[in-house]
Parts: sequence; structure tokens; C-alpha cells
Amino acid sequence: MRQRLLSSTVIGPLVALILVVFVVSLTTDRFLLPQNLSNVTLQVSSVAIAAIGATLVILAGGIDLSPGSVLALSSSTLAILIKNLGWPVEIAIFATLVLGALLGLGNGVLSTYLRIPSFVATLATLTIYRGLAFLITGGTPIFSISPKLRPIFYGSFLGVPLPFYYVVAAFVLTGLFLRYTVPGRAIYAVGGNESAARFSGIKVNRTRLLTFMIAGLTAAAAGVLTTARLDSGSPNYGVGLELQAIAAAVIGGASLAGGLGNIVATLFGALIVAVVQNGLNLNAVQASWQQVTLGTIIILAVGLDMWRNDLSEALRRLFRRPGQKGST
Amino acid sequence: MTDAGAAPQPLWRLEGVTKRFFAVRALSGVDVSFRRGEVHALVGENGSGKSTLVKCLAGVHQPDEGALYHEGSRVTLGHPLEARAHGVATIFQEFSLVPTLSVAENVFLGRQPLMRGPWIDWQAMRAETRRVLGELGAKTDPDAIVRHLSVADQQLVEIAKAISLNSVLLILDEPTAALGLHETDRLLELVRGLAKQGKAILYISHRINEVFRVADRITVLKDGKLVATEEVAALDMDKVVRMMVGRDIEQHYPKLPATTGRVRLAIRDLRTERGVRGATFEVHAGEVLGLGGMVGAGRTEIARALFGIDPIVSGSVELDGAPLSVHSPNAAIEAGIGLVPENRKADGLFFNFEAPRNITTSKWSRVTRGPIFDLKRERELGRSLVTTLNITPTAMDASVGFLSGGNQQKVVIARWLYAEAKVLILDEPTQGIDVGAKLDVYGVINDLAARGVAIILISSDYPELLAMSDRIAIVSGGAVLGVVPAAQMDEHRLIAIASGAEALPTQPIPAAGSATA
Repeated sequence: MRQRLLSSTVIGPLVALILVVFVVSLTTDRFLLPQNLSNVTLQVSSVAIAAIGATLVILAGGIDLSPGSVLALSSSTLAILIKNLGWPVEIAIFATLVLGALLGLGNGVLSTYLRIPSFVATLATLTIYRGLAFLITGGTPIFSISPKLRPIFYGSFLGVPLPFYYVVAAFVLTGLFLRYTVPGRAIYAVGGNESAARFSGIKVNRTRLLTFMIAGLTAAAAGVLTTARLDSGSPNYGVGLELQAIAAAVIGGASLAGGLGNIVATLFGALIVAVVQNGLNLNAVQASWQQVTLGTIIILAVGLDMWRNDLSEALRRLFRRPGQKGST
Repeated sequence: MTDAGAAPQPLWRLEGVTKRFFAVRALSGVDVSFRRGEVHALVGENGSGKSTLVKCLAGVHQPDEGALYHEGSRVTLGHPLEARAHGVATIFQEFSLVPTLSVAENVFLGRQPLMRGPWIDWQAMRAETRRVLGELGAKTDPDAIVRHLSVADQQLVEIAKAISLNSVLLILDEPTAALGLHETDRLLELVRGLAKQGKAILYISHRINEVFRVADRITVLKDGKLVATEEVAALDMDKVVRMMVGRDIEQHYPKLPATTGRVRLAIRDLRTERGVRGATFEVHAGEVLGLGGMVGAGRTEIARALFGIDPIVSGSVELDGAPLSVHSPNAAIEAGIGLVPENRKADGLFFNFEAPRNITTSKWSRVTRGPIFDLKRERELGRSLVTTLNITPTAMDASVGFLSGGNQQKVVIARWLYAEAKVLILDEPTQGIDVGAKLDVYGVINDLAARGVAIILISSDYPELLAMSDRIAIVSGGAVLGVVPAAQMDEHRLIAIASGAEALPTQPIPAAGSATA
């Protein structure tokens, strides 16, 4: 069991993360300050949570481009429910999460029972959901929602900010879900070979639907976190979240063909992105370069995986002792 | 080129060819030659080095030692294009056609005739394609889109492509694996014809009887070494099998006599919208019922209907005397029906799983408590099946993608042993797997039958079908023409009846129990 948990699929991203942390802490001594680490945690939490859903969808062989818009619509809804309609904070949060799951259900129904490829379906809902967010808010952010909102998320326990615990708990739960439960296994089976899954009596559409619902739920949870952090709801939040979430999954080694990937590696992927961005921030690198860097990381992460055989062959050639070249 | 005339140089000669992959010697010191006008068959079990040898000739691999001689002069083929320039064309099992393009576009892929500037000369392309296809006796429309063609026609397009490239050595890798009987006959005839025109044919097949029909000489490989190259006249099938396996196989088909019980599965007048038009038969516990018929006769479609993939329009299915509704694979599996699909790669295997997780997909409830997996138990059950079925131990940890075809097929079969199926449908279970793995599959069939499982066997390898079945249901046009004891059948009669050339025997069909008595 232990050996499987630390399989090579997790080791690669972990090593990369350690390297990135090492390099960043060489460039600036502010990186390892507790205050900064706490900042990184806060920054990464939304992306990391949304990356859970993105990974599950990818594992089942789909893709979800809409989490940024789900985040915006959830954030706007939460703000309206609390500030305009006076709902209690806890109930409003619960309702927002349910809404997220329903938005995900919409993606799922479109891409399974209605047979629209998930790339296209979620490209459409990417603009539909954000459009709805603008409609219900009239296009203006809602500030100062409630003084009760922030402490729920941005308190700390034992000196560590609460979102850290939420993220860890969410990933542990997802990891157990994928590894030990029937729906978790079904996700891998459907992503691995849809036809064989059908021939094994696995309910393919229902499984994919579930992954989209979870993706909607986690995107909404990211929306709740963002809204609580800024104490405001806005239809402009979450732009580009889909890229960061998918990047986290891909950097963690998930295959867009489906069936291959590991949720713990996705967390490392999200952390790699966050640490690099934080390092660039600390070194006062302008935002445009950060975008260039994120793209480069994605290429390197996937490229290293693709070129792995060539690289190891090249290394072997480089280090082969002269006498070893086969001739009889 | 120098044509030696009366004392012909071999077209190609391989001398001491050795190829290693890391520590494994895929080929060691193989000498073999191919002549113009000759059909040369290459046989051997999976992993014997056939495909490595082919790939050396096709310029995909370069030998580590030894040399290739083309009409007497030494050549190196560093790239598939160099092999093509030397007149070598390889037609692999999986075709290298672009399914969305037309026949003509495929024949001229990458070398379309041009008019002036960048404009393609469609007229010339069509005319030349029509001419080459005509030479092959095919009437395929050059404008037809390849994916709409039958497998046999697609293969002809591949061959047409090779011929229009002026290839002199044609390598055919398992060309009849997906063909029906008529199509096979046509292909074998075509291959003979091409040899007569002076081409050299390298013919690779697992079907020994076919090899004997078409080849002039046979080369046997085993474990990367040359066993022998001999004229067909000097060989017989038993001898070839012995050379391939390296041990004597007492019986090719170790069928055990069935002790059949009561009726397990009964279907009456089954119909679907996808090619089943009135299928009626019964299978008893412990019996192997073979479905005989041409490819496309509706045998696979019957299997799909029984497994809940194609919806049943009318007719009834009874299992152990109780009516059964198989509206989904899940319902079929719940009821105890299993299917080993014809295409194990597309429909059977999860390449992201190793053997144990592949095996348990058919019935997770055996290794779960509630919705939670007992991973230890899953592995234990997986291990015991891997051992029982003689699957390579690597399968415990490596993805099934790394296994040989035979091992892969045994993993798919293991799934239904594990699920304790009462009725098992095997669709072409030995297609493309080596002799040793075939024997293992036959062993499992016997074993399951002895345990009272009712088995429906679909195979286009007729000697196998006749030998392994207790009774044969002859399928034609989606309907079952009749069921006869396998012992009263031979290959010729089966083909004759299935093709409508001969009527079924009119005598009442004996019960299954007496069939083997």
C-alpha cells in the first residue's frame, strides 16, 4: 500500500516541488518567512480546491473549461443571498455549494446524455455561467457582504490558516474516494477505456456526470473561499481559473486522454504553480512575465514526461562505460 | 538492375541478423532469403521474433549484427522510406490508411500526382487507382471513403497502394485475421497471383492451414532463432507446429467430452435492429455450443444481444428456466452471463490497470464491502487467477499494455472466471494469439464446461470451432439455420451449409447429451 502511495507518478511532481521551493528560497530570503508561507497557502487554496474537480473530470476522459465562471456565479450568488436577501451565512454557503453542483450537473448532462463533447459543452457554459453572474449582479461587485464571513475561513488553528486544513482534508478525502470506493474506481475505468467499461457493466454516463458535479461543487467551494477572503462577490472573479486548475492536474501528471493521474500529484502541481508565482512576486517580476512562466512550466512538466525515455536513453549513452557496448 | 536469369539471385538475403532490445535478443543470427515469384511464409509463436525480422526489412529497426543483401549487394535500411525505395511494402494487421480520405487519396498518400504548381491531378489519380484495383480484381470506387469499406476492401486498398509504389517485396502480417472465408480465399488467390507476376511475398500468419495453402516455402522462428526454412512439400502441419512449439503437442484441440446437464440458456426467435433476425437455440450446462458461419453472418451480433449491448426487439431469453431481460450489460452480468469480446483491445482491456484491477471490473461486489474496496482481497483473488490461467506474473504489477496478446486474452477470460459466470460467450477467443496461449484458452474452456458453465463459442477458425464444440449452431443472415452435433460436421459441410450451398440434414436434431456419446 505504502509503496503504491509513493509511486513514481507522485515522486516526479514532489521532486519538482522541492526543487522549485529550493530555487525560490535561494532567490529571496523572504520566501520562508511564516507570513509569506501563510500567504502562499491562502493564494493556493482556491486553485487547489478547483483542481480537484478538474482532475476528476480529466480522469474520466472529459475536460471542464467552466470552473472560473462557476466561481464567479457562486461568488455573486453568495453575496446576493447574504447581503440583499439577508440569508444566514451558513445556509447561504450551503445553497451556493448546491448551486455549484447543479451547474456541474448541467455540464455533465450536456456532455453525456446530450452527447455534446465536454470541451464544447463547457466552452459554452464558460460564457453562459459568467453571463448569468453579470446578469444577477447588474455587473457590479458587491462589497462588505458580512463581517461573519471572513472569520469562518480566515481564522487560524495552531498558527496555521484554516484554508490549509480545508485543502488537506479535501485532497485526503478525494484520494480515499478514488482509491477505495466503487465510483472512484469507475472514474478510472471509464477514462481508461470507455467501451471496455461499458462491456463490464459500468454506467459510463452516470460516472462522468458525477465527475462534472464534483467539479461544479469544488469550483463553487473555491468561489466561497475567494468571496470570504475578499468579503465581496463579483462576476469578474475566477477569470483564468480553468487554466490554473487544468495546469495543476497536468503538471501533476494527469493524462488528458483519461484514466491516468493522481490526486496527490495534482496538489503538488497546484503548489508548484503557486510557489513559482509567489517567488516571482517576491522578486518583483511583473505580472506579464508570470503568465509566460506558467505556460513554460506546463510545457516543461508535460514535455519531461513525454521525453522521459529519450532523456534516460541519452543519459545512459552519456554514462555508458566504453567496454559495455555489446559485441560478441 | 542485373537480372541473373537462370540462376537467380535471391531478391533479399538476410545474413546472421541479430537484434537486441536491452538485454533481450529478439533475433539472433537469422539467415533467410526471399525470392521473386515466391510466397514465403514466416511462422512462429508470439515473441519468436517475426515482427522484429519484418521491422528490420521495413527499415524500422536496424540489425545490431549481420547484414541485408538486396539482389546480391549489401544495403542498410536506416529508415522506412529507404526500405520503400528498395521496393519493400509492409501491410500490417492494423492498416496504415487514413479512414476519412478516399481510396485514391490513400493510394497516393504523400505523392499525389500534380498538374501544374500545387494542383492535384485528380483525374490521373482516379484512373491509376482504378487500374491498380482492377489488376487486383477489385471493383472498389476510387472515390469511396475508406472508413465505409469492409475490412477486406480496406486491405485491398493497402495492397493496391503497395503495388502502385512498384513494391517487389510485399510483407503481409496476419492478413486474414479479420477476413471471412470467401474473402480469405480471394486473398490467398490474389497472393498467389502476385507471386506469379514476379513479386516476392512474405506471408505471416498464425493459421497454419492457410500457410500450407499459399506458401512455397516456410520459415519457422523460435525464440529469435531460425528453426528451419523448408519447401512446403517437405513439411506437414504437425511438423510445423512441433517446430514452432519446440515440444510435441499430442492434441491440437484437447477437447474433453462434455457431461451436459439441463438447459441453461434458451433463446427463441431473437431479433435486434443490428443484424439478428430470428435466432433460436439452447445451451446446456457444461456444453460448448459453437456458432458457425461466415464473418458478417450475425454471430457477433447474437453475442451482443445476449450481453445487453444491442437492444432486443423481439424474442425471448430464458436462463435456468426463468425469463430474463438483458437490457444492459449490467443486467446480463448480474444474471450470470459473460462476454469475451471479439476486439479485446477496444472492448476488453483497461490499459491503465494491471491484471487484478482488469479482472475485477466485471463484478466489483466480490471485492468490496459496501462501496469500499478491499484492495488486499482484490490482489489475492487476482493473483490466484493469474496463477490458475498461467498468466505471466508480470501482469500483477505491469499495465496489461505490456503483455503479449495471449496473456491479454487470458486476463479478459479471467474476468468471467472471477465473476463466476453461468453462461460465457467467447467471441474469437484465440484470434492472433500464439499456440501456447491457445492451449491455455482451450484448457479454460474445458475447465469451465466441467464446472457446468454453458459456453457459446464463436470462431472463424473452423477446425478449432469443430473440435472444441459439442454442437454447432449454423448462423446465416442473422438467423440460426439449425443446430447439429459437432461430430457430424466437418469443415467442408459447415462452410457449404453456412454459405447456402448445401441444405441442413433433415434428420431430427439429437439432444445435446447424446451428441458426444
